[in-house]
Amino acid sequence: MKRIIAYLVSVVFLMTILLTGCGSSGNSVSKGSEQSSTTANSGTKKITVWCWDPNFNVAIMNDAKAIYTKEHPDVQIDVVEMAKADLEQKLNTVLASGVKEGLPDIVLIEDYNAQKYLQAYPGAFADLTDKIDYSKFAKYKVELMTLDGKIYGVPFDSGVTGLFYRRDILEQAGYKPEDLNNITWDQFIEIGKKVKEKTGKAMIGFDPADGGLMRIMLQSAGEWYFDKDGKPNFTQNPAMKEAMITYKKLFDSGIVKKVSGWNEWVAAFNKGDTATVVTGAWIIGSIKAEASQSGKWGLAPTPRLSLSNSVNASNLGGSSWYVLNGSKNKDVAIDFLKEIYAGNVEFYQKILVERGAIATYLPAQSGEAYSAPDPFFGGQKIYADLSEYMKNIPPVNYGVYTYEADAAIMGIMPDVYSGKISIDEALKKAGEQLKNQINH
Amino acid sequence: MVKRKMEHSILCKNLSYNRILDNYGWLFISFALMLLVIFLFYPIVYSFYLSFTSSKGIVQKFIGFENYIKLFNDQMFLLALKNTFTILIIQVPIMLFLALILADILNDKNIKFRGFFRTGIFLPTVTSLVATAVLFKMMFSLDGLVNTILLKLHLLKEPIPWLLDPFWAKITLIIGMTWRWTGYNMVFYLSGLQNIPYDLYESAAIDGANKIQQFFYITIPMLKPIIIFTTIMSTIGTLQLFDEPINLSSGGVTASSVGPGNSLLTLSVYIYNLVFKYMPNFGYAAAVSYVIVFITAILTFIQFKVVGEKE
Repeated sequence: MKRIIAYLVSVVFLMTILLTGCGSSGNSVSKGSEQSSTTANSGTKKITVWCWDPNFNVAIMNDAKAIYTKEHPDVQIDVVEMAKADLEQKLNTVLASGVKEGLPDIVLIEDYNAQKYLQAYPGAFADLTDKIDYSKFAKYKVELMTLDGKIYGVPFDSGVTGLFYRRDILEQAGYKPEDLNNITWDQFIEIGKKVKEKTGKAMIGFDPADGGLMRIMLQSAGEWYFDKDGKPNFTQNPAMKEAMITYKKLFDSGIVKKVSGWNEWVAAFNKGDTATVVTGAWIIGSIKAEASQSGKWGLAPTPRLSLSNSVNASNLGGSSWYVLNGSKNKDVAIDFLKEIYAGNVEFYQKILVERGAIATYLPAQSGEAYSAPDPFFGGQKIYADLSEYMKNIPPVNYGVYTYEADAAIMGIMPDVYSGKISIDEALKKAGEQLKNQINH
Repeated sequence: MVKRKMEHSILCKNLSYNRILDNYGWLFISFALMLLVIFLFYPIVYSFYLSFTSSKGIVQKFIGFENYIKLFNDQMFLLALKNTFTILIIQVPIMLFLALILADILNDKNIKFRGFFRTGIFLPTVTSLVATAVLFKMMFSLDGLVNTILLKLHLLKEPIPWLLDPFWAKITLIIGMTWRWTGYNMVFYLSGLQNIPYDLYESAAIDGANKIQQFFYITIPMLKPIIIFTTIMSTIGTLQLFDEPINLSSGGVTASSVGPGNSLLTLSVYIYNLVFKYMPNFGYAAAVSYVIVFITAILTFIQFKVVGEKE
């Protein structure tokens, strides 16, 4: 009797598993076929885009999508947002596995990483040399996406840098806006000392482990961590030595508020603890997030190094769009980028006003939004100014090992700060370490 | 003759029956086995092969033992190794000892609100790691909660640069890890303590042993198997340490060093960087991961030997 019951129970149990299993899979099949039939009926072409910042490039891509799909109702654009690290992780794994499925049609890639992807995954990205008129884009930007004479991406936002400062604090310390024009970092530190003395505020928020400022300084001199052939160049690099000296001076000067990480760094100027920010124009959104400081900000050119080849213009970050070669609707994807990002001046006015995106598409800069005064910056025409700075950014080849170099040099900085080793020794040590790390 | 034939056929039948059973056995486990081969054995073998190649993304070439030779000259790798071991040697003993003491205290039947304290100490283990890291970063910033309290209590004259200095960054990491994992290990010890007969303590007390002597001469020896287990688990966990340093050092303005002066760079973080942050070199990353496997195996072996399971 017991046996029979046990038998019955197990049969019922198995049946339920089988039935529910079949049932659910049946459902999903019908759903799938429904979806495919709807897409097949309307004959839409679907494009998937991957990008990372919901307040910036995702929002801008959605604007672009709205404009394009109005004129091309047969195109369906799917903008997928994911964290930048996740995006890179996913792109890397899928590309390396050699699978064609699972990739987007258009992907946003940070400029520092562009050459790395182009060289690591040859043939993965579509060659756009003949499709886009690159003469209309900022030259430094096009150079970053060129490999063996072929150009691969569509330039997007610029990381043109500036010295953003609090007018009220500097005024209190006795400085006029003109006093900040075209200064060197040494002058910057001198001004900072006055500011600290008169107002008690720090001059700038400074993350001692962050190499962003270093990259700004290097590019302002037209130099990078590498020489023309992409070999690490730490020791024969006057710009780098000068940048290290400046880092140490800033660290020791007592005019910086030391912070760790992005959140603290942004909080430092949002709370009004620091008088200036030196970074890429993409920071404008974060500056404006603190509405109570409206009208109190100003913009001056980036400080330069005390070297003859250093100019008052530089770049930090920035990114571009790339089309995947394996995309099913490659032509549509290219046409989309071409029509909006390489042709629609009005679109660029819109994203500048609404999102603060500085275009590297030169015709866009003659638009009216670029010459409009910004009340948040005391009526200064900051976008016209930034466009001016952009023309002076020295082009630099970032190579493929920027992050390795950055980690090597910033890894040794604590010893430089504490005075344990001299700057020459540090450069030598970091350079050798990098060489050992990247030789293949 | 007939008998023999019958015997033979029975034997054959049995044999083939067994064989059929065997075949069914294989059939039943074949699905699990297939998954195991595809998702476990194949990656292990393939990553071993990968560790003899060097790659830039999909541009791959076979280089033999060069990756393993390169390891010894790669300062970044040696730094990661050093960091990992520093954390291992300092953090694991502190955490396990603390867990042992806490477990012993909370096992005392005379303590009130035992359940409350046990839950409270275990709770960090189940909180989200990212949330903890964000909170720790806020609490340990230069003008954060910890420094403010210490300054207000006049224990310090200058604020401690918790996350800005290589030394203090490691301390912060160790504090964070200890806070998070002590309760987890404590639960193991608590369950182990339930198996120690109360008679032992009673007779020890009659013989005049005080609480501390009881702790060292009864509790610790009786818990030995569990102590070995937690030590091995914590060692393996620390060798694979990834989440805590990544989260504590993440969100750099545009940073690529892991903590100040790469002080939070562990082996696992280095592997991640080699593939996802730097020029993707799967071969070299595989070589580094095999180093972890090797070290883990050696350490586990040593721990078994040192603690000496006689039987």
